Amino acid sequence: MKAGKQLWRTFGPVLVAVLAALALFATPWRGLKISSQTVKEAAVSLSNNVYRGEKIKDVAVKDNYVPFIGSSELSRMDALHPSVLAAKYQRGYQTLLLGGPGSQSLNHYFTIQEMRTQLRNKKIVYVISPQWFTPQGQRADAFGYYYSALQAADWLLQAKNTKADRYAAKRLLTMPSGTSSLLIETATKKIAAGRPLLMVEKLMLTQKQIILKNEDALFSTIDLDNNWQHIQNEAKKLPATDNNKLLDQVATTQARQETKDNQFDIKDSFFKKELRGGRRLPRLKDSQTRFDYRRSPEYADFQLVLQQLAALNCQVEFVLPPINQRWVDYTGLNMTMWRQTTKKIKQQLTSQGFTNIDDLSEDGNQSYYMEDTIHIGWRGWLRMDQSVKPFLTKQQAQPDYQINDYYLSQAWQQKIVK
Amino acid sequence: MPVINLQPYSSPSYFLILLLGLLPIMIGLYHGKRFRVYETIFSLAFLVLTFGGDHWQQGVALIIYIVYQFILTICYVHYRKQKNQTNIFVGAVLLAILPLTVVKFTPLLANGKITLGFLGISYLTFKTVQVIMEVRDGTIKDFDWKLYLHFLLFFPTISSGPIDRYRRFKKDYETIPDRAGYLEDLEKAVHYLFLGFFYKFILGYLFGTLWLPPLQHWALMQRHAFGGLGLSWALLGYMYDYSMYLFFDFAGYSLFAIAISYFMGIKTPPNFNKPFAAGNIKEFWNRWHMTLSFWFRDFIFMRFTFWFMKKRWLKNRIRISQIAYLVNFLIMGFWHGLTWYYIVYGIFHACAIIINDIWLRYKKKHQDQIPSNKFTKGFSVFLTFNVVCFSFLIFSGILDKLWFM
Repeated sequence: MKAGKQLWRTFGPVLVAVLAALALFATPWRGLKISSQTVKEAAVSLSNNVYRGEKIKDVAVKDNYVPFIGSSELSRMDALHPSVLAAKYQRGYQTLLLGGPGSQSLNHYFTIQEMRTQLRNKKIVYVISPQWFTPQGQRADAFGYYYSALQAADWLLQAKNTKADRYAAKRLLTMPSGTSSLLIETATKKIAAGRPLLMVEKLMLTQKQIILKNEDALFSTIDLDNNWQHIQNEAKKLPATDNNKLLDQVATTQARQETKDNQFDIKDSFFKKELRGGRRLPRLKDSQTRFDYRRSPEYADFQLVLQQLAALNCQVEFVLPPINQRWVDYTGLNMTMWRQTTKKIKQQLTSQGFTNIDDLSEDGNQSYYMEDTIHIGWRGWLRMDQSVKPFLTKQQAQPDYQINDYYLSQAWQQKIVK
Repeated sequence: MPVINLQPYSSPSYFLILLLGLLPIMIGLYHGKRFRVYETIFSLAFLVLTFGGDHWQQGVALIIYIVYQFILTICYVHYRKQKNQTNIFVGAVLLAILPLTVVKFTPLLANGKITLGFLGISYLTFKTVQVIMEVRDGTIKDFDWKLYLHFLLFFPTISSGPIDRYRRFKKDYETIPDRAGYLEDLEKAVHYLFLGFFYKFILGYLFGTLWLPPLQHWALMQRHAFGGLGLSWALLGYMYDYSMYLFFDFAGYSLFAIAISYFMGIKTPPNFNKPFAAGNIKEFWNRWHMTLSFWFRDFIFMRFTFWFMKKRWLKNRIRISQIAYLVNFLIMGFWHGLTWYYIVYGIFHACAIIINDIWLRYKKKHQDQIPSNKFTKGFSVFLTFNVVCFSFLIFSGILDKLWFM
């Protein structure tokens, strides 16, 4: 029996290790409890693990955090940033920042649907950048960065044979990340073709989902960016009372201090780094005359978000941010095109019952509304707060949405609204 | 229907399938039997998984390559039974290297648009050249073509080594270990496998996936530093991080290949032996990618030295060995790929080992004057480590991105 003993000595630990790994990852235990301090840090970390994951977002939404969904403007954390205002004053909500440079409606769609259980009947703030609506729409590499297999597995398991789901499946298949796993690719192809998944595929997806959820629960809180500390520091600059006039003074003072060395009222650090202290400027003169945001697959991706929000009966405040007017004048962006773009977006919103729109798209000439070329900051954040604060702190009327699949169509994507 | 392809040692499912497939072989060996038919089918199945699916072009290239080498070797073995001319031998070696040369040159000529070849072609070439050379030497006499195919296509090591030797492989394949010996092999195999996991999937992940990209980004951002040379602290960090990544990734992979071989009763030789503890460059090459450097030592360095002395082109043995080092490492550089940084990497190591030799001779002559203690030993390890890391900085290709892109 000596050989048997030696076999056990060799393979026993392996067996234990395999069982331990299975217990840790393949059983639905969902990790340890997340502390409120971790949620606080995670909600403003803008960390991609939070965006792609599930657990922290769910805990946060349950805890009265409001998703602020957008893209790169969310990282402009000056003293008037929504997260700073929410941290400083007792408003009854905190911000859950979702999105970063390059994340657009398609990523947001998969993120929102993943949070569907928690988000039902909740409030959301959604910042739409007209800059997303390029002729190519969502860039594949950026999509891949914000995409997670967990979102995809969640989505596939609840997908139905609707026009929206078929469209979403087709979009996912155009992205390299959507075809990186054999199982997900096969299942997505079926959804795109309007066919049901096999029982065994559902089982495999569920198993994959369990493993990914455990990974998310175990690892997503590691190494978060420490924006929370920065937000607390910024909050110290704010007046003790939540008063608009006083806040406006802080915004103006801070903006004036930070925009000293350029004619665009762009934050100096941005001007120095991104525009090489002005050395890049000659190349950018009149560089945007041909930019066109009126025709884009993004309109249909945006529609995916809208139909999902309607299905969840969410109350949503949409913000159309301004654009730096001096920058527009310098780079030659066509303002007629700009207006037709925002008009088209607003038409898509209002015609389906999304009526909470804060349209700042014409306010780019207001002083210190913009932190840089296209990103809102200082007084712009404060202006946005004028609509966001009442929206989030007061009771809103029950929404009445009428979703129209026409907005998924090629015809709408290519239509110019005049 | 999407097609299935599994890259070697890349995912948990690969290891799971692999170990399940190995089970019958292990049970057989435990009972003193080698199930040759099963082993062949199992190996072929894994070759199909590696070179099938959307990698089918590689699979086709592999088949053509094997047929070519097979015919070449059979012909040379047949010829060697009657005659032994040097020019035929040289011709056979050149023909054996030809496919690899073509594969390495095409991307250069076709601007990287065409890629021929398959994963592991360079490692197979080491095996085929070695067999032809040993047939010439007469050390391989009874050539068994089935075993030769098995040796070439031994799937645990096919993609990136370690580079085994035909005669050693043959001995392991034909002698089945006794039970106690096999149990020991299994114990080693499990140890190697888990050490490999730790190296490749934990340390390799930290150094390679988590830390390397930001360091590279940061280093490339500072391309204007130091008068345009781009020498920055970030680059220094990149150098050490890349060296660690290179080691843990490759050593981890090698451990997997060795572990799977041991499960199959084949004692594939080790590839690494604490390389960063080496006290000088020569010692480093006896510890780093050992099967490669021993192959180069036996089939390039030694043969070149021997040939040079036989022809009496030079009398000075020191000069001969210096030239041999240069040839040896230049070929190694070219073998890595036809880019300036691989070739400079080769030249750098040749210079380092030549200087090291000069120093060792000097030290021997002046033994009484040069101190040797804990401190000098520690210093020599430190110096060697940094020289090696610097060579890996060249090898990494980041200087190419920094200076020429």
